[in-house]
Amino acid sequence: MIQVEGVHKSFGALHVLRGINLDVSRGEVLVVIGPSGSGKSTLLRCINLLVEPDAGKVYIEGVQVNRPEIRPEWVRQQVGMVFQSFNLFTHMTALENVMLGPLKVKGIARETAEQKAKALLARVGLAAKANAYPAELSGGQQQRVAIARALAMDPKAILFDEPTSALDPEYIREVLDVMTALAREGMTMIVVTHEMGFASGVANRVVFMDAGVILEEGHPEEVFSHPKHERTRAFVGKILR
Amino acid sequence: MRRKTVRAIDTVTGVLLTIGAISYIVYILIGRQGFDYGYVQRSYGIFLEAAKLSVYATTISFLVGMLIGFLVGWVRTAKVVPLARILGDRRKIRAEASASGVFDRFALAGVITASGAKHLFRRIADGYVETIRGTPLVLQIVFAWSIFLVYYHPPGYEWIAGIVAMTANTGAYQSEIFRGGLQTVHTGQVEAGRALGLSRWGAMRHVILPQALRLVIPPLTNEYIGLFKASSLLFAIGIQELSYVGKNQAFVSGHVFEVFALVTAIYFLVTVPVSKIIEYVERRYRIPGLGIQARPSRL
Amino acid sequence: MATVEAEATRTETVPLITSKTVIRAVEALVGAIVFVVLIQYVLRFSLFDPDLWSGATLRQANYWPRFVDGTKTSLFYISLTLPISVAIGFFLGWARVARFKAFSWPVAVYVDFFRGVPPLVIIIFASLLGPKLLPPRFITPDTPLLMGALALAMHSGAYQAEIFRAGFQSVSRGQLEAAQALGMRPGQAMQSVVLPQALRLSLPPLGNEFAVLIKDTSLLYVIGAFDLFGWSLLTGQTIAIDVGRLELLFTMWTSVALVYFVLTFAVTRVMLLVERRFHARGLEALSI
Repeated sequence: MIQVEGVHKSFGALHVLRGINLDVSRGEVLVVIGPSGSGKSTLLRCINLLVEPDAGKVYIEGVQVNRPEIRPEWVRQQVGMVFQSFNLFTHMTALENVMLGPLKVKGIARETAEQKAKALLARVGLAAKANAYPAELSGGQQQRVAIARALAMDPKAILFDEPTSALDPEYIREVLDVMTALAREGMTMIVVTHEMGFASGVANRVVFMDAGVILEEGHPEEVFSHPKHERTRAFVGKILR
Repeated sequence: MRRKTVRAIDTVTGVLLTIGAISYIVYILIGRQGFDYGYVQRSYGIFLEAAKLSVYATTISFLVGMLIGFLVGWVRTAKVVPLARILGDRRKIRAEASASGVFDRFALAGVITASGAKHLFRRIADGYVETIRGTPLVLQIVFAWSIFLVYYHPPGYEWIAGIVAMTANTGAYQSEIFRGGLQTVHTGQVEAGRALGLSRWGAMRHVILPQALRLVIPPLTNEYIGLFKASSLLFAIGIQELSYVGKNQAFVSGHVFEVFALVTAIYFLVTVPVSKIIEYVERRYRIPGLGIQARPSRL
Repeated sequence: MATVEAEATRTETVPLITSKTVIRAVEALVGAIVFVVLIQYVLRFSLFDPDLWSGATLRQANYWPRFVDGTKTSLFYISLTLPISVAIGFFLGWARVARFKAFSWPVAVYVDFFRGVPPLVIIIFASLLGPKLLPPRFITPDTPLLMGALALAMHSGAYQAEIFRAGFQSVSRGQLEAAQALGMRPGQAMQSVVLPQALRLSLPPLGNEFAVLIKDTSLLYVIGAFDLFGWSLLTGQTIAIDVGRLELLFTMWTSVALVYFVLTFAVTRVMLLVERRFHARGLEALSI
């Protein structure tokens, strides 16, 4: 459903993505692991065009999207994103945050948007916090609202950029639970994370990236227990300690 | 490819518009027909003399104001404990006093007096700053002038009055700068210093002041520039500073554009380079997370 | 442990006028009264000295009507220059953070120009040169005054441009990214996400700048505006030259100072109320 072909991206002198090829099928949960600086975040941002690839092609449902004719806004409605730093709109309540997308981008009527937002907040377990502002929510709660906000757009896939890395340990569980439920319901997900438990339990495939290329991919058990590549072994060793 | 052409067009347009804006300003100042360069050559001396007076007035006021500003700023960082709380704590105060051998009834009286004194000083400082900030400088200058006129007017009293008013004014604004600097550094740093074994005064000297100084210098320089511009208000009491001379010359000689050009040029010469240097230094040497937020509202 | 939850469920609305607001206002009032009483004692004058306020001593230079009239004129100029300066400041500040240098660079020239020269100079020369820049058809006797006032608005606008620019830049980048990730067009993102936050962040320094503008309107006397300050200077001359009692000067100037103090105090308090009304809990300026 999402295809990445030969994508390159440089920021000035820094060649961050050096030819990425990736295929993600509908309903698949793909976990991307790798050391920092390997280009994982950049890869995600090339898919929803927050960053424009220098070379290569990105396809969503067979349509090449990194073309000038395609509006990036349309692409982003197909593929949602959840950020490491949550990025909830600080001047709006949780409910308003979730409502904003459908209301302003899709032009849905206010009552419909509101009901949908309430349902989504309930789905992530935060119905009681609908009128709270982000500053009044814990990190885990904020991230769950962010997930609800992404879901409100009915995306075909969701990209997760290290969703739990900025959380205090006691809040990681609640966010991973929401993500697991989402996966069980068949959402196509690409998740950049260090949470090996999630990767082993939920991912269909794991991909290891280092220095801008994909070094290895395969089933979670394969990559974690029997990594083929030298660097994969080193990285996995460090993480699983 | 399209991205790059857009960026190129943008830069070119930017440069053109900027040059255009600057040219327009220069044209308004200098380029009208009949700009009398001869007049400029003959008279620039007068303006420079007047500018010198402005610089003197500004510098003196600024330096004296710095002392006032520092003291007042410091006073305004003092925390004021309400009387109710002290009375509530009196048992604790007495206990501490007995433990260190001081007659405990005196201790309570002492704390109340000290707190009362702190309260008083704090209120005076607050009142001072609020008054200065709530009234126009030109009014403060005229008011000071009136006081001198009524009570003590040796020859040159306008000067004294003007400098007194400017000193009081910059003192208040500088106190805000110093207060901001002291407060920004204060949190946690005193405790850290004392945990290392420094006394309260030692912590002040070695931990807070060096950091506060670094924080305080850019806004202070801005304040100097602002004060220099504000010295134009000495106009109101007849002091021959730059703007006064400017207005007179404009009327007397009729060379309005030329005078404007000269006066503006002199002000720019002082303010713009210094501002730019400050901006550069600030950007280059800033410590992320350490900075005084609101600039005190000086021109 | 229960604290975060407890905090989060306390979603009551913030009342606009709290007991603290009232206490502050009362404190200011008491402080002002004490201060005025003190200086009356020190400088030996009376605020309500009839020689100033009734026509008896000053006759033609009767101060009370001038006081009222002057205040009205000052208020007129304030209500003229304030909105114009905000409009200029807002749009220029926005231009300063625009992606295109074609917008931001010329604006930087404007800002540096108006910040480099004292407002007094700007006012004087705007009133002298301004009419020359207009076609003669539009020139009325009031034109120099209006030019001066306009120049004052442009001057304050330059400072406000910097305030709004800082406001825009204080909105963290992640906010914009999240808006884009939702599929918002740049215009929508600006309207729904960036602008509301930028405006809220700009409010505190804006209140300060308004106070400065109010005080600067006193400078319009130089070009002949018969505002409060101008009338008072005239009366002051009469007092100094004709009348024996120089302490009337103190009476007069203290009254004028009180008017300005009330004006600036009112404006800053109103801005605080506006801030409170639109405050989203947790939205603070980042000290970056």
